[in-house]
Parts: sequence; structure tokens; C-alpha cells
Amino acid sequence: MSVTGTLKTTSAGFQWSAWLKSNSIPLFILAFLIAFPFIVGQMTGSSPYGEVRGERFIMRGASVRWQSVLIEIFILGILTMSYNLLFGFTGVISFGHALFFGSAGYILGLSLEYVAIDTSLGLALGVTLGILFCGLMGLLVGAATLRLKGVYFAIFTLAVAEMFYIFASRWQLTRAEDGFAISALPAWIDPAQSRLNFYYIALVLFALTFLFIKRLVHSPTGAVLKAIRENEDRAQTLGFDTLRYKLFAIVASAMLAGVAGLLQVILNKKVGPELLSIDYTVNPLLMTIIGGIGTLWGPIVGSSSLFMLDIFLRDSQFTVGGITVNMANIWGLLLGSIFIAAVMVFPRGIVGTSQQLWLRLRAKGAESPPKLHGAPPDQ
Amino acid sequence: MRSSRNSWLTVVVLFAALIVLALLSANSLGSFGITILSGLFQGMLLFLVASGLSIVFGLMDVLNLAQGAYFMIGAYVAYDIQHAGGLIDVTAAIPDPNIRFVFAVIGAILVGAGLGMLLERGLLRPLYSRPIFQLVLTFGFSLVLIEIVKAVWSTTPYSWTEMFGIREGFFELFGQRFSTYRLFVVGAGFALIIVIGLLLQRTRTGIIIRAGVEDREMVQALGINIKMIFTLVFTLGCAVAALGGAIAAPFLGASITLGNAFLLQAVAVVVLGGMGSYGGTAVASILVGLAISVAQDVAIGTNFAALSSITPMLLLVLVLLLRPSGLFGSSR
Amino acid sequence: MSENVLEVSNIHTFIGGFHILEGVSVRVPIGAITVLLGRNGAGKTTTLRSIMGITPPIQGSITFCGIPISGKSSNTIAQMGIGFVPEHRAIFKELTVLENLQIAERKRGDLARKSDFIFELFPDLKRLISLPGGSLSGGQQQMLAVARALVPDNRLLLIDEPSEGLAPVIIEHMIRAIERLSADVSVLLVEQNFRVASKLAQNYVIIEEGQSPAQGRISDLIKDEVLIQRYLGVA
Repeated sequence: MSVTGTLKTTSAGFQWSAWLKSNSIPLFILAFLIAFPFIVGQMTGSSPYGEVRGERFIMRGASVRWQSVLIEIFILGILTMSYNLLFGFTGVISFGHALFFGSAGYILGLSLEYVAIDTSLGLALGVTLGILFCGLMGLLVGAATLRLKGVYFAIFTLAVAEMFYIFASRWQLTRAEDGFAISALPAWIDPAQSRLNFYYIALVLFALTFLFIKRLVHSPTGAVLKAIRENEDRAQTLGFDTLRYKLFAIVASAMLAGVAGLLQVILNKKVGPELLSIDYTVNPLLMTIIGGIGTLWGPIVGSSSLFMLDIFLRDSQFTVGGITVNMANIWGLLLGSIFIAAVMVFPRGIVGTSQQLWLRLRAKGAESPPKLHGAPPDQ
Repeated sequence: MRSSRNSWLTVVVLFAALIVLALLSANSLGSFGITILSGLFQGMLLFLVASGLSIVFGLMDVLNLAQGAYFMIGAYVAYDIQHAGGLIDVTAAIPDPNIRFVFAVIGAILVGAGLGMLLERGLLRPLYSRPIFQLVLTFGFSLVLIEIVKAVWSTTPYSWTEMFGIREGFFELFGQRFSTYRLFVVGAGFALIIVIGLLLQRTRTGIIIRAGVEDREMVQALGINIKMIFTLVFTLGCAVAALGGAIAAPFLGASITLGNAFLLQAVAVVVLGGMGSYGGTAVASILVGLAISVAQDVAIGTNFAALSSITPMLLLVLVLLLRPSGLFGSSR
Repeated sequence: MSENVLEVSNIHTFIGGFHILEGVSVRVPIGAITVLLGRNGAGKTTTLRSIMGITPPIQGSITFCGIPISGKSSNTIAQMGIGFVPEHRAIFKELTVLENLQIAERKRGDLARKSDFIFELFPDLKRLISLPGGSLSGGQQQMLAVARALVPDNRLLLIDEPSEGLAPVIIEHMIRAIERLSADVSVLLVEQNFRVASKLAQNYVIIEEGQSPAQGRISDLIKDEVLIQRYLGVA
């Protein structure tokens, strides 16, 4: 390829057809998600805007219900992607992700509650402060990686997050165990007034998170992050200031988790200590592992499949030989078995293992694999 | 050598600080005694979960998130054997509640060991090359165990009603009444610390375990089947957790939240003591137990209830910032 | 029965997706010292670790005393009578010298039977017996690592870089010890120090870029300046 040739193609402008072709799957999914409320509306005969009651819409009907389901998936997806950025791409294990998720949520809730002059101001302040606080906490917690390695860092973050959790559940200002409901939100974002608006807001943030991580992973910075994951000492001897890169990953991951927390609070219109509970660390961790550590799609596949499973199965019943089994009663058993089975069947997570199988199938067509001598290595 | 001296110095300073705080907040020698005894009691309960966690993590790099569930199972099994009308009703065969309690504890240990071996042999073994997946697996297994408990014993928590000698007994010291049972738990905890310590220090298996913590590959290259040692250690860890549940049950009863309540603090204790250091875990358990107890006392005076529950985590964060590998961890 | 205690033929080993050994063949005759020579990163250590089953080869065969051992787990291979002295003196630092020796016992009484011989070779160890391995000096740790491999009855010792980072006096001591012990057991040695290697070994195998292009008697190699220059870069 000659230099002038390359220059010509770039100067001729962006090659839309090639770009569309290489990004056809995400673009298709995006188009589907944009159209989704209307598709469900058509299929079920319900309005994506909700039911009309005089001047207002009431948030009822199949389309609106499904929008909520997808919004929750977007939120979990953002949270899990942020976790994967740190855990999957940088190799830093944090057990304290709920700290960022929950504190951003709390800050937004408090801001909406106490900035009583104007809900828009309260919202803007809450969002800004929430994300800034996450960045700052990310920086502070991240500074600990200077001294703490591996499991020690993971448990350190767990301890910090637990302290926040215990504080929030005892503190008077945050109404302790009960938390508090958010009474007022600007109409344009309030999911109780227009679910559809909030659906698109969440979708945009979900898509932006994906795009950001995709760009980051394929950038030189992403290459350094992956080098740190493989071997931090080597990355350091290559002349990279690994601490700075790790700090960047932690701060970015923390802020994204904060975004997810903000969305969660707006969706539920409630703030409570459960936002800071270890569930919001364990869930993205499990979802990342089951989806595929260090893959772009793993977190999305992991979080959406587990969440959908929850929605579909938890409230269902089935009857075997005259005995009705309520899934809610055996949900834990089922979920536990799914975790165990997923780990056994998908050694690299759903996405990672599928990719591996796909590559192996293609390689099989090209050339036969090396013959194994004797038993395969047991380890 | 110097680093080990620093470790002990840190420990002594922390203990001294706790004792001083306890003395300051106590209004009599009796209430000071109660604070210390209750601290030791909580420390020992923590140790019973943490010891298995510590040895298993040190040797196998597996953070067994099901360890708390084994504690819970132990409590249920012991409850069941002790009380009438359960799955195993031996009240007619063994009418003496004291002897029945001995059987209850043995039963819990056996069930814990059996389930531990099942998890290691059946599920964990294929995953040793993928450590991070073991988190998911053990977490999944703990959910399954909780569900099995729900199916067998329902979700209603049980409180211990069938009393026996040491559970009812009290003794008096400094004009305060102390429960004999708490003293028994503390004694049993210390006994266990010593027994496991001797096992690690004095037996060939112990030498292999300690060597395996350092370098598994080399142990195997010396002709030792490390997988058998893995099974043994994992089974032992689960059995000790179940034992913990069994001797905690007369005080705490049996409920499905019991296990995970301890798990988080036990993980904190293991890290605080330094990963792979059994002695560190023992010292850290007692330290955290005392700290919780002292903080409870101090909190009464200051009207700040969160203090005692925050203590283990606060202690961990502070110690880790000072000593990044915990109290007795080697900085590998 | 062949007269080679160990025959490695054409093994291929992958580590983390990298093809490290691309067809290495090594023969170790009974009762002699064979040395693996070659530059850093050529694959000498991986060859030893492949024989031991720590990084098992995926292709090729390894037979020990006529029995195929490739694919067996490393503890089984060790049990058959191979002692391994890894590089960087991988002794257990938290264990005492005595415990380091005890753990190597395969039968009860191994250490009791061998202790006289071991302490005759390495008298220092007797004095240090109750100290933790980590507190020993580099040379003492190396002696302990070799001593550990002498506790059970082995028919072959794999010794990786025994002279690495040691003072000249201690290297001399180590050479004498390995010469002594080779009277009872065959040895496969990795040695960067050509002077040490040529003093100790009777046979050599050159490892270069994951292959074994040359092997033979060391007395022939010493005369072959071209070969030395080409593979070892020393004269």
C-alpha cells in the first residue's frame, strides 16, 4: 500500500459503506432499541407514551412496562461495562464498585431533596456533584493501588464501600435504613411522567458508554491498560507510568458507575442504603465473568441475559404432575445452578467462549490442528 | 526478621489501644471484663469462619465465598439434632441434652466436611487454572446451599430453646454475672487455634501445606500429590466453619442470613492478618472481635450506633494503609 | 533396557500460547553428567520443566528408564525417581532447613538414611538445620536445594543453573558436590557458565531457539571452536 494511496482515501472522505459494514451488528441493535417501544406498542396494541387520562399520560400498558425492563438493563449494562473496564481490561479487581454507584445516587437524591428552589437546578447540581464525587473517590481509592496489590486492593475497596454502606444506613441525614423517596423531578426526565423520554436518555447513555469503551480499548491508552493487565512490571519497564494509567481507568470506571447510579435513582425515584450494598458489586462482577471478562460485548450479554432470566423466570410457575412449582420459591437454587453451570460450560464467559469456538471452527477449515501426544496436560 | 518485629509491634500497639479504650469507657472492673469477654467471644466466632478461609486461600488461591454458608449449615444441623421434631430426632434416643449437644456438634462437622468435599471434588477441581471463576462458582454454590436449607428447614429463623448445662450456667467475677457458654466458646476457639497450629507446625501434612502456600509447583515436583492435599484442606476448612456454626447456634440460633453476616467480616479478618498467615488470621480475629466489642461500649456513650459495625472495616482500611500486606503477610 | 536413563525426543511445548520448544531431543546416559548449553531464553529451563511435567509438552515423547512419562502429572514423574533442583534456588523460605529436607521424603526414613551423606557434602546445612530457609545466604540456599533432591532415592537429577549468582569459592564447592553425587545418580544439568559445565559434564546438548541442533561428548565440543562460537558466543 503506497503512502499517497492512503492519503487519497482519507482525503476523499469518510468511507461510509465500509464503516456501516464493519459496524452493522451494533448499528442494527441500536436501531432495534430505538424502535423498540414502538414495536412492542404495535405488537401489544398499547401506546409507547402510556395511557391518556385527560390532559396527562398514565404510565401503564405493555410498551411502558417493557421500556422499564430495558431501562434497567441499560443501567445494569452501564454498571457492568464500567466494571469490565477496570476488571476485564486493566486487570484491577475492585470489590467496592457499589460505592460509586450508590454515592452518586445518594448525592443526586440529596440534591433534589435539599435544593428546593428549582428541580432543574437540583438535578443539574446532583448529576454534576455525583459524577465529580465518583471521580474524586476513584482518585482516592485508586491512589491506594500505589501500595496495595491484587486481593489486598480488592478487599480494601470492599472495606471502604462497606463503611459507606453502614454509614448511609445509620445516618439521619440520609434517613438511615428507610432511605427517602424523591418527590420532584423535571418533567422531561421524570419516568413517572414520560417513560419514553427517560428510555431514550438511558439508551443514549448506554450507547455512549459502549462507544467510549470501544474507542478506549482500541486506542493506545487501551493497549497500555491491557499491557498492565497482562504484566504490570513489564509495562512499567517499557517506560509507562502504570499508576497514571490505572488511575485513569479507575476514575473513568467510577464515573461511569456513577452514571448508572444516577439513572437508577431517577428510575426508582427512591434513595436507600441498598444502592451501596454489596449486591451492586457482586452483580456486575458475576455478570462480567459470565458474559466474558475483557470482551466488549460480554458485560452487555451477561447483564441482559441474567436480568431477562430474572424477569421471565422469577414470577413464573409451572406444573409438573399435578404439583405447581412457584419459581420465586426456588429462585436462589436456580440462580446458583446457573452460575455453576455457566462457569463449567463457558470457561471464558458466554462471549469469550463463543469467540474462541468461532475462531477454532475457522482455523479448522484452514489447517488441521497439531496432533496431541498422549493425554492432554492435566492442570 | 525486622518485618516480623514490626508486625508484633503493630499488634501490641493496637491491642493496647483497645484495652485503654475499654478501660476508659468502662465504669467498673466488671463491665470491663464483660467487654473483653464479649470481644473474645465475637473474635472466636469470626475465627471459626476465617480460619478455613485463610488456609484455603493461602494454599489454593481460592476465596471460598461459600464459607459463610457452611457456617449456617452447621448451625442448622446442630439445631436440628438438639431439638425435637426436626429432620433427625434423637431426643428419645439421647435424652440428656448435654450429650445430645456433643452429637449435634459432631453431626454438624460431618455434614460440613461432606459438603465441603463434594464442592471441592465435584465442582472446584476443574477450575484451579481459572481462579477468578471460582468466585462465581463458590458464590453460586452458597446460593444453592441457602436454598437447600430453605427447602429443608423453611425460611423462619429458629432460636435455640433446648437448653443444656453450660448454655444455662453463669459465674460471677468482679460482681458481674458472666455466661459460662461464652467462656466455653472462647475456650473452644483457643483450643482450635492451638490444634490447627500444631497440625500445621508439627505434622508432615502441615509442612506440605505450609510449603504449598509458598510454591505449589515445587511441592508437586517433589512427588507430592497436591490435589489430595487441596481436598483435605478444603474439607477441613468447611468442617471448621460448620463447627463454628454449631457452637454459635445456642447463642445466635439458626437463620439463613447467619452465614453471610459473618463472611464479609471474616474476609476482612483474613486480609487484615495477612493472606496465607494462619497465625495472622488468629491474631486478627481476636483483634477485630475486641475492637467491635470496645466500639459498642464507646458508641453507647457517644450516641453513634454505626461505630461498632463500621469498626472491622475501619480497622482493615487503616492497617492496610500502614501495612499493605496485612499484619503478618509476606510482601510477595 | 536402553543405556539411556532419559530419552527426550522431539518435544514441543507451548507456554501461554507461545511455542517455546519446537522439537527438542535430549539423551541422558546412565551414570554420567549431561549439560544443556545455550543462550538465555533458548529453552533450557523449559526443557527441564517439560521433563518434570510442570509445563507438559503437547507433542513428542519422553521416556524415563524405558517408561513413557510425558502427559503424567509432575508428582507421578517425581515419584518414579526424578529429582528436580529448579533455578533461583526455589527452596521453601518459610520452612526451616530440616523441614525443607523432610518434605522431600518419599518413604519414611529417607532422610535418616541419607542425612550422613548430605551433611558430608554440605556440612553447613547441619549447623543451620533449625533456621528458616529464607534466612540462608544464596550459596547455602543452593546447597539446600540440591540436598533436598538427594533425600529420596532418585535415578536422575535435573539441576538448573547451580552456579548462578554464587561466589567463586562456593561454585568450586558446588562442583565438587555435584561430582560426588553423580557417582550414584545420573544428572541433567543446565549451566550457563561454560567453564563449570566443561569441568563437570561428560556430554552436552546445545539448545538454540527451542531446538537441539547439536549434541555429543563435551571433550569434542571443547576442541570445536566453530560450534562454541556459533551457539554459545564464548571462546
